[in-house]
Amino acid sequence: MKNLLTFVSAAVILGLALFLSVILGDYGPWYFAWLIGTTMIILISAAGAAMFDSQDEELSQQGVSKR
Amino acid sequence: MDMIINPTVVELSRMQFALTALYHFLFVPLTLGLSFILATMETVYVVTKRPIYKEMTQFWGKLFGINFALGVATGLTMEFEFGTNWSMYSHFVGDIFGTPLAIEGLMAFFMESTFVGVMFFGWDRLSPKAHLVVTYLVALGSNLSALWILIANGFMQDPRGGTFDPNTMRMQFTSFIGLIFNPDAQAKFVHTSIAGFVTGSMFVMAVSAYYLLNKKHRDLALRSFRIASIFGVISSVGVITLGDALGYIDAHAQPTKLAAMEAIWKTDTHPVSAAWNLIAIPDRQAQKNVFEIGIPYILTPLLTHTETTVIPGIIDLEQQAKPKIENGIKAMLALKAYNANHSDTSALATFKQYENDMGYGFLAKQFAPDQDLAKVNQANLPSVLDKTANATIPNVWVEFWAFRIMVAAGFAMLVLFAFAAYYSLKNQVERHPLLLKVALWSISLPWIACEFGWITAENGRQPWTVYGWLPTFVSASSHSVAYMVFSLIGFAILYSSFIIAELYLMFKYARLGPQEEHHGDAAPAAGGGLAGKPAFAKASLDRQ
Repeated sequence: MKNLLTFVSAAVILGLALFLSVILGDYGPWYFAWLIGTTMIILISAAGAAMFDSQDEELSQQGVSKR
Repeated sequence: MDMIINPTVVELSRMQFALTALYHFLFVPLTLGLSFILATMETVYVVTKRPIYKEMTQFWGKLFGINFALGVATGLTMEFEFGTNWSMYSHFVGDIFGTPLAIEGLMAFFMESTFVGVMFFGWDRLSPKAHLVVTYLVALGSNLSALWILIANGFMQDPRGGTFDPNTMRMQFTSFIGLIFNPDAQAKFVHTSIAGFVTGSMFVMAVSAYYLLNKKHRDLALRSFRIASIFGVISSVGVITLGDALGYIDAHAQPTKLAAMEAIWKTDTHPVSAAWNLIAIPDRQAQKNVFEIGIPYILTPLLTHTETTVIPGIIDLEQQAKPKIENGIKAMLALKAYNANHSDTSALATFKQYENDMGYGFLAKQFAPDQDLAKVNQANLPSVLDKTANATIPNVWVEFWAFRIMVAAGFAMLVLFAFAAYYSLKNQVERHPLLLKVALWSISLPWIACEFGWITAENGRQPWTVYGWLPTFVSASSHSVAYMVFSLIGFAILYSSFIIAELYLMFKYARLGPQEEHHGDAAPAAGGGLAGKPAFAKASLDRQ
């Protein structure tokens, strides 16, 4: 049941995203660009933070403290 | 519509709105950007489960809270100001303009205000994933709030989705879709929202640089610096791209703004080699630049994205306005006749013929003999046309320099973020104290860019409140000069106290950092983090 609910929820989100993409792509290209762009900025910044932690661990293993 | 408001009252009303809007916009961009930076930090916390990211979210969230509260306080008065100081404007476009403002209040503002409380006090009460959703809803709500305000502003810049109804004497909706998908509103929303991202990034980066220079809160500062520098460099590219898009849209919607922004007096008939003015000293009386440094071959591709499109200069735009002014006078006279007798179908037909130029007739009123368009005749028409055409151009000096200050600040931040992201990704920021000092001392740059951006947008729209339809000089309320001076001084004192409070609290809690709040065996802050207790709620929480 839980899997079914997860699947349905994901399908609804996907359907909504496709609907928004079609409508915004036609009528509001800059709104669409904001949605995509903001998501991208967040994901890349978060990836940068995750990368920092892996770099930090590597440097700790090498005994380097100052960056 | 016959009434002409005292020009001093109009100027004071303009000053008051400019003052309140510019004060308000000191708080808004940080809310727009910092909310999504908080969401980014919390996303990393939920994914990696490292407590440092929770502490980061809570610490920066505390500074966000101070700014949010003062932003709300300064924003509320502005919505009332439309009714109190701009009643003619509110009557004229209220049916259209009021709709996005109402949606902003009922949907976006309520959403962000509700969830901001849950965000601050829900750390112990919600699962990490549920709290993350709440943080995203706060960020989304803040930016949706900006969206509806900018849809309303987009209508003022390029009126779409409504038309004038001679029976009700006001503008009425023709298309809600036209209103919300107005190209000016779209580009302006994205430009403004991302300018907020840049502001939030610079704020986080500058405070982090301060910690790194002072060897404090290193774990928090290095990670915050990394997130902010990446967030900032991508956002800076975005804000410049959208600035270009907005200029391109304005080139079609508001050619007078574009000509003033670039101080183009004469139309260059050789668009390929047309020079872009890097620096100029415009002289409105002489209708030329008394000094200019131009770069050839740049102007046309920069503004029109082509090499052959001719960009009309101010002198030509004034000439192009004259037929519109003549038509507008006819429209206004026909409208007056139709209002006196609603069965006068010939007056209505004449009005319909010229209604698109009605605003120019409105604008001509102030130059007509006794401010009565019926007294315009063949003898005084050339003088009325000259003066009205001249009035269609905004203040060129202000427009030119406000735009350049904004652009210069934007590019300076892009360069700074690029260096910061580069050295942060190489894990070398602490080896470059000069970079950290520049980052710290550049903290005011995004606010300078945002304020001058708004001056560019709003000064460039003059002499209209609704471009091409309603001039500013008839939009104000008929208050006394004394009332306006009194309220202007009151607002200046009140808002200055807000700024002082904001700066005091921001400096205090930024200097304290995330850890100094803990003394001895004090209980953990709300949420269990090091900095979870919101600054403004500390006393009430302590009493519990």
